[in-house]
Amino acid sequence: MRLDVGSRTDLGRVRKNNEDSFRIEPALNLFVLSDGMGGEAHGEVASAIAVETVIARCQEMEKTPAAVSIPRAHPEVSPRTNLLANAITLANQKVFETAAADPENRGMGATIVAAWIDGQRLSIAHVGDSRAYLLRAGSLDQLTADHSLVAEQVRQGILTPQEAESSELQSVLTRALGSREDVEVDADEQVLLEKDIIVLCCDGLTRMVTDPEIASTLLMSESAQAAADRLVDLANENGGEDNVTVIVVRAIQEVKGIFTRFKLWKRNSGRRSGV
Amino acid sequence: MARLVLKFEGAVIKEVPLGARPVSIGRAPDNEIPIDNLAVSNYHARIYVEAGRMVVEDLGSLNGTFLNDIRVERATLKDGDAILIGKHHIVVDQMRDAALLVDAGRKAHAPQVNETMVLDTRERREMLEQAAAAGERSQLAPERVRVPTLTVLRGRTDQKEYLLTGKLTVIGSSKMATVRLKGWFAPSVAAQINKHEDGYYLGRGDRVPKVNGVEIVSSVKLGEGDVIDVGRVRLSFLYRE
Repeated sequence: MRLDVGSRTDLGRVRKNNEDSFRIEPALNLFVLSDGMGGEAHGEVASAIAVETVIARCQEMEKTPAAVSIPRAHPEVSPRTNLLANAITLANQKVFETAAADPENRGMGATIVAAWIDGQRLSIAHVGDSRAYLLRAGSLDQLTADHSLVAEQVRQGILTPQEAESSELQSVLTRALGSREDVEVDADEQVLLEKDIIVLCCDGLTRMVTDPEIASTLLMSESAQAAADRLVDLANENGGEDNVTVIVVRAIQEVKGIFTRFKLWKRNSGRRSGV
Repeated sequence: MARLVLKFEGAVIKEVPLGARPVSIGRAPDNEIPIDNLAVSNYHARIYVEAGRMVVEDLGSLNGTFLNDIRVERATLKDGDAILIGKHHIVVDQMRDAALLVDAGRKAHAPQVNETMVLDTRERREMLEQAAAAGERSQLAPERVRVPTLTVLRGRTDQKEYLLTGKLTVIGSSKMATVRLKGWFAPSVAAQINKHEDGYYLGRGDRVPKVNGVEIVSSVKLGEGDVIDVGRVRLSFLYRE
């Protein structure tokens, strides 16, 4: 399976600085996105520390798998997914320690969502309200459950999803990196199939753009980069109230034999000539 | 198991199952039963099961907890008992399968919050620790655990029955597969089952599986006794105790 990756981050229309960070590590097929918070207390510092820590930790574990023994905090998922969750646990410690050490950084924090593709296994781990979506066979599924007060109230049946969307309390998170010494990381996994599209994004996208809009944008876009660009534009057209960051990953059909090559060539040349 | 039914002026607002973990009631939003009313203390009372009996305990609230109109500190509960907290009633309902009702008018009244903030108060942490401690105590009388299984009804697989212990169960010939399909033309990933908070969902792989004879469109929640067809293999989904 081949991956087509696109990404974009944008200030939005209201905020004066971009507190989001993201990184794509093609060698590992690792994708990490973080939304910093803390305003003057340097949210962008928190999100950058979070992303770099996760990338560095995963690279380290990839190079010396035997040297890194980690406790399996999530017995229900594979060792690889546990590695990813463990990297996020470490990112929390780094953000927490940095905030505690420097009074200027006090109060900073971040959300994080990370996806790691290993063959056909897609590992997802997250903390906070940044999301991972999967578009498969035309339907869009949110793979992550937001760690926010309104999302928990919806899960408990106290609020309807419609009420949650208009709540003033949307910004209240129940979990984030940097607010405590330890954090509970959610970890999950999926089998990746050809033609799947994965989206990682911060709440700057999901509060401005509805799920059906996200789905139709992904379906209409010719490439992952075109989809990422269009999603960020949509968020800005709808108000752009926050920083927007999007990573789009498309799993492309591998060109195996001469017959598949011919079929794909025929289809693509048809498209180019506008048929 | 019993349910706690929260009512306001006769209308059902919420139902909460009473299991191994205590159910807390109070004005703070992290309570299992949050009540947004000034007459209610932040952590007002809790209800839990101890030695097989349901108990209500006042947590030192300002305005008190009333059981059938009598103020109580701690009392044993029975089916039909009504607990009064502020202006809300909580009725104890032993095993009745009423649908969850949501009061659409209910909404948290709170100041506008623009900046993202994290809810992380000291009380919340203490509550979690209390809940964890109570959870350990209640392990003396464990509830019966139901484990989902797949039983092979037809086709060539490496086992006749599989316990679903992970979040992801792959059906196919791939190395990742739990349910390993045999034969030359078996697809590497025929289908997958994902565990969500509320149950197990069957999704497509390189094949589109059928549930009870119908091809699935998107992923579907599996119910007791569902029959799954993937390629030449037929499986049934059952919970075992």
